[in-house]
Amino acid sequence: MADKKRVLVTFEDMGRITVGTVRQSSVLSALNVAAFGKQVLKRVKGTRGIHLLLNFEHVDYLSSAVLTELLRINKIVQEAEGQMRICAVAPNIREIFEITNLDKLFVLSEDDAQTSVKRFERALAVAAREATWREPAAEA
Amino acid sequence: MSGRALAPESQGVQVFFAEEFPSTIEAMDRTLDRAVRALVADGWLAQEQAGPARLCLEESLVNAVRHGNRNDPERQVRLELASSGDRCLIRVHDEGGGFHPEQVRMPDAEHMGGRGVCLMRHYMEYIKYNEACKCLEMAFRRGHCAAGG
Repeated sequence: MADKKRVLVTFEDMGRITVGTVRQSSVLSALNVAAFGKQVLKRVKGTRGIHLLLNFEHVDYLSSAVLTELLRINKIVQEAEGQMRICAVAPNIREIFEITNLDKLFVLSEDDAQTSVKRFERALAVAAREATWREPAAEA
Repeated sequence: MSGRALAPESQGVQVFFAEEFPSTIEAMDRTLDRAVRALVADGWLAQEQAGPARLCLEESLVNAVRHGNRNDPERQVRLELASSGDRCLIRVHDEGGGFHPEQVRMPDAEHMGGRGVCLMRHYMEYIKYNEACKCLEMAFRRGHCAAGG
């Protein structure tokens, strides 16, 4: 039986970024994928402007059910005006995203969480600056 | 599925693993583990390269449980692994109306489901509905079901 109370993802706030680390690869089997989705959504839902970095350093197996959960999470993050990225993606996991064309939808990186947080912060800062530059033009 | 005829075998096809289970994800997971062990033990895959085959098995079995048998534990799913020369045949029987993977197209980015078939198509030599056996059939050649392939 899937252990619904088991902690599958742990969260840590690093500046503006919420890092969700998947604890071990086996949590992303068919047995646990629904619980994985629930645990992430519990953290994400109702948090305006959340920027979520999912850390896949322990993930070495991924099924289409997990992709569906990731799509659901991404949609909710975007609706909350936030962004989602996935880091520490192993080559065999990236391949799953590529086969299903989802590498174009998700921002994936093979870098570790610390490096990816810095990059995510920089991207947010650049986007904020660009938005400031665009505002007067929009008014004109 | 009791009373239902086993898949008719053509010449040279030898079943080396066959198991039936009720349509629950827990039962499916146990059969999945045993099937992957059988593939490794029979020399079809190296243990460290079993990921794609496990993925294809899981996708096909989850489809049978959820879509074929609609999660009804009274309905059975049957998995057979068979050898035909250097080709490993994987056959999945359920009690639904039949699943034709060739009718499934790559979903667009916003669509939630339908990606399991894309993954099976990529890693397997072929995937089809076997009209004679009334089951989903896919196959790979010995050692040719690997990531990066």
